[in-house]
Amino acid sequence: MKIVLTGAVAAASALAPAAAFAVDYLRVDQAARLLFPEADRFDARTIDLDAAQLQSLDRRGVRARSARWQALAARRGEATLGYVVADQVVGKFELIGYAVGIGLDGAVRQVEILSYRESHGGEIRLAAWRRQFAGKTTDSPLRIGDDIANISGATLSCTHVTEGVRRIVAVVDTARKSGALT
Amino acid sequence: MRTRRARPALGTLVEIGVAARGAGASLSLGDAIASAFARIAVAEAQLSRFDPASPIHRFNAAAPGTRIAIGSDAARVLTAALLLHDASDGAFDISLGSGPVGWRCEGGSLLKIAAGTTLDLGGIGKGHAVDCAIATLRAAGVEAGWVNAGGDLRVFGDVALPVHLRDEVRGGVVPFADLRDGAFATSRLPAGHASVAAEECLWADALTKLVVASGDARHPLLERHGAVAWLH
Repeated sequence: MKIVLTGAVAAASALAPAAAFAVDYLRVDQAARLLFPEADRFDARTIDLDAAQLQSLDRRGVRARSARWQALAARRGEATLGYVVADQVVGKFELIGYAVGIGLDGAVRQVEILSYRESHGGEIRLAAWRRQFAGKTTDSPLRIGDDIANISGATLSCTHVTEGVRRIVAVVDTARKSGALT
Repeated sequence: MRTRRARPALGTLVEIGVAARGAGASLSLGDAIASAFARIAVAEAQLSRFDPASPIHRFNAAAPGTRIAIGSDAARVLTAALLLHDASDGAFDISLGSGPVGWRCEGGSLLKIAAGTTLDLGGIGKGHAVDCAIATLRAAGVEAGWVNAGGDLRVFGDVALPVHLRDEVRGGVVPFADLRDGAFATSRLPAGHASVAAEECLWADALTKLVVASGDARHPLLERHGAVAWLH
């Protein structure tokens, strides 16, 4: 083990926030191919939930957050293999983009993290802060600080991602049962 | 070329990175990373207190006198936990006060001695899972890489991993250290945080909890495990 201190922490002074931090892991299309390697193409689908469906989700304890969702149908020949839905969730200090692969049985195949953005602090709640990442992909990476920096801390939980995955499973289930998603 | 992937696991976000694949690698980069994630899922299934099929969940629900078969993941973690408990005069306690002597690990089984004793491996299991994922990457022929489970992290091979600390009051991160061939973990104190660097992530993870419990960043156990601690 070799550890070389690079910060001022050893001086026991208060931490001074110095950097925001962002990582791009995968584009949605890359994640889709990982989630459904047997697919030969992915067709875009739009899910529009009506008021009754939103209420029915609400009764199941799922706040749909939006009536319109974009999905990719994983296709092989004429068969649909399942669906990929990408989403973002906001935590206390982080904005996480992720993609969920859902099979025809309604079960989650896998969740892949697409991107991770760590904020300076309060600005994570500002639309303007989040907007700077819109459309950023691994082809146009926004990297602040070192390429492979890793963060250590005590509060990071994946509760928001877990809740988001549950929401997407319910939305896809509702849309398929109504025939709105094929 | 560096490749990194992240997935939700172990109740947090787990990132696995490969810095050098190695000429004799048996798996593709993506497959090596996928098998390391799969290894973490195996460890989590053994160590989770939430999974109804896990030995820990079954122990917590069991009557005294029950003997529960455990795998090698639970055996390693429980053995280390017992060692730390005894060496720290009880400061490190996976029963969280519910009965530190109410359980015993015997060979391939976990014995419930006292009613009311429940176990929570949250303070040590994540570190073990990181060690397992590192071993899987190495076995797949990866020469340099890292695994970070929400701040419990380990790096191996010819790569220096810059470690940043999160300011959990105001947000933002600050550079802390460059780490090579070692592990690092951080825990919350009533005021501030404790971080520990050690060879293996199980020890970095668990010793961080010891430093939090004892408030002592120079606890003699640290040196015995080749670890260094910081309060910040």
